[in-house]
Amino acid sequence: MHRRRAWLAFALLAPLCIWLIVTIVIPIAYLVQLSFTTTGIFGTAAEFAGLANFQRILGSERFWQSARNTLVWVIGNGLVQVTLAFTVARLLYRRTAFTRFMQIWIILPWVIPGVAAVIIWRWMLSGIGVVNYGIQSVGLVDAPISFFAQPSIAMATTIFVNSWRWFPLLTVILLAALRNIPTELREAAMVDGATENQTWWHVVMPLLRPVLYVLGLLGTLWSANVFDVIWLLTRGGPSGGTATLPIFIYEEAFTRFRLGSAAAASLFMMMFLLVFVVLFLQYGWGRDLRRRR
Amino acid sequence: MKRIIVRLLPNWVLVALLLVLVFAPFYWIAISSLKTPPEVIRYPPTLVPQTFTLQNFQKLFASTDYPRYLLNSLTIALGTTLITVPMATLASYAVYRLEFPGRFLLLRLLVGTYVFPSILLLIPLFQIMAQFGLINSLWSLVVVNVTFTAPFSVWLMRAFLESVPYELEEAAALDGADFFQVLWYVIFPILRPGMATISIFTFITVWTEYPFASQLIIEHAKRPLPVGLASIIGQYQIDWGLLAAGAVFMALPVVILFAFVGRYFVEGLTAGALKS
Repeated sequence: MHRRRAWLAFALLAPLCIWLIVTIVIPIAYLVQLSFTTTGIFGTAAEFAGLANFQRILGSERFWQSARNTLVWVIGNGLVQVTLAFTVARLLYRRTAFTRFMQIWIILPWVIPGVAAVIIWRWMLSGIGVVNYGIQSVGLVDAPISFFAQPSIAMATTIFVNSWRWFPLLTVILLAALRNIPTELREAAMVDGATENQTWWHVVMPLLRPVLYVLGLLGTLWSANVFDVIWLLTRGGPSGGTATLPIFIYEEAFTRFRLGSAAAASLFMMMFLLVFVVLFLQYGWGRDLRRRR
Repeated sequence: MKRIIVRLLPNWVLVALLLVLVFAPFYWIAISSLKTPPEVIRYPPTLVPQTFTLQNFQKLFASTDYPRYLLNSLTIALGTTLITVPMATLASYAVYRLEFPGRFLLLRLLVGTYVFPSILLLIPLFQIMAQFGLINSLWSLVVVNVTFTAPFSVWLMRAFLESVPYELEEAAALDGADFFQVLWYVIFPILRPGMATISIFTFITVWTEYPFASQLIIEHAKRPLPVGLASIIGQYQIDWGLLAAGAVFMALPVVILFAFVGRYFVEGLTAGALKS
């Protein structure tokens, strides 16, 4: 058989590998180069700028604000999504026609375009929207809430909308992992007199650690990368309160036309994420379990 | 009996809340797009529509550039699919069926490219496209979308490849078929459902992609749907009925396609997270 002929494999892989090198590896190298130049938009001659871009970014209050916002954003999204996903995965654990249906269709918020999700929620959360109507008619508040008026409320709202989009993905992955756990283990614990909650915490959770580990890593990278939902909901406002690093980079490049310093900011963001990944791989909860496999 | 009801009641309440959280927004936008303008903005809102009209959709197609955006999105999706499907299918076969040094490293790198934050590529790709004169060309979006879809497509194909028995290839080889004949006449036909799944995944990605589309295209008439719809948000005095129609129109094809491939999607995603 031909299965062992390596050159065939390389020939089949070559188009994809070349494509990814040209569109990811080379651009990253180019990003480094750009960060040392003063490049404006559209063919302005690039001049070597030394470390000026990095200095500008480090001295920019907006940059640090968006770095802090990114931290709040990632942690907030993580907490909301993990809570929702666990609750829902537990609900859908038993195999019935209903859970089979839900297991596929729950992911719908994640597949629709961000623009559509934004329109849906901007409409529902507007002053005359159905959410304000709902919370007023059950007497939670007296006057309509402006969900995007203050930085902290806008941040919470944006985190909620983004979590609405992403928690279903987390849920189906968790659900698959839960179902991989042999039921005998749970039953054995129950027979030995453990309550359902004890079984959950002491039997199921430890077994989920490898999956949670992967999800912690991927989820952080994915939510740090979110752009369209934030941009279209708030444009990073009010007063920069919801501007995360992607928003900062985008504005620096395309509304303030400073590509060089946007490139420097991109490198800083990449560095932050890299530090996170390295720390996570080193000290992350569940690392030991994965290695043993 | 009573005890069981008391014990399960919180679960039923949670399930009801879950259904509302996930699906009520879809219901709300759908009925909003079908209400007449006075009813859309009536307060208190009508939870069950009292009027029915298609005028929001008519307006969307008659007085905005929606048909144009639609055509652009479809063109980009077609171009991307034509590149992604063969490239990812070949690579997937190599990664999951052949043995070669560096296989595991390559799989890891593929996962790496999939989780790589794409926003970091925006600045350099913008400059590179500018230098090649591709700004404002739909080709630029085909190029970036292939980059976003191909690595995950390799994963998606895995489940389909696993359903092809090795014996089939061996039998063909014994009958004298060479490597490429086996690929072309044996493997590819069986992988057709997989290719269809990749095509749909690609379509959904292109249909959804916003940040790159918003900057690599300048001319109004060349915008794909997400950017076009976003510009309608700002362009008009907020006309919620019209926007609702736009959102429904963007979500609907995805919902329909999802009905066909949702299962593979979810499998591909979970396999990716659990096994990589």
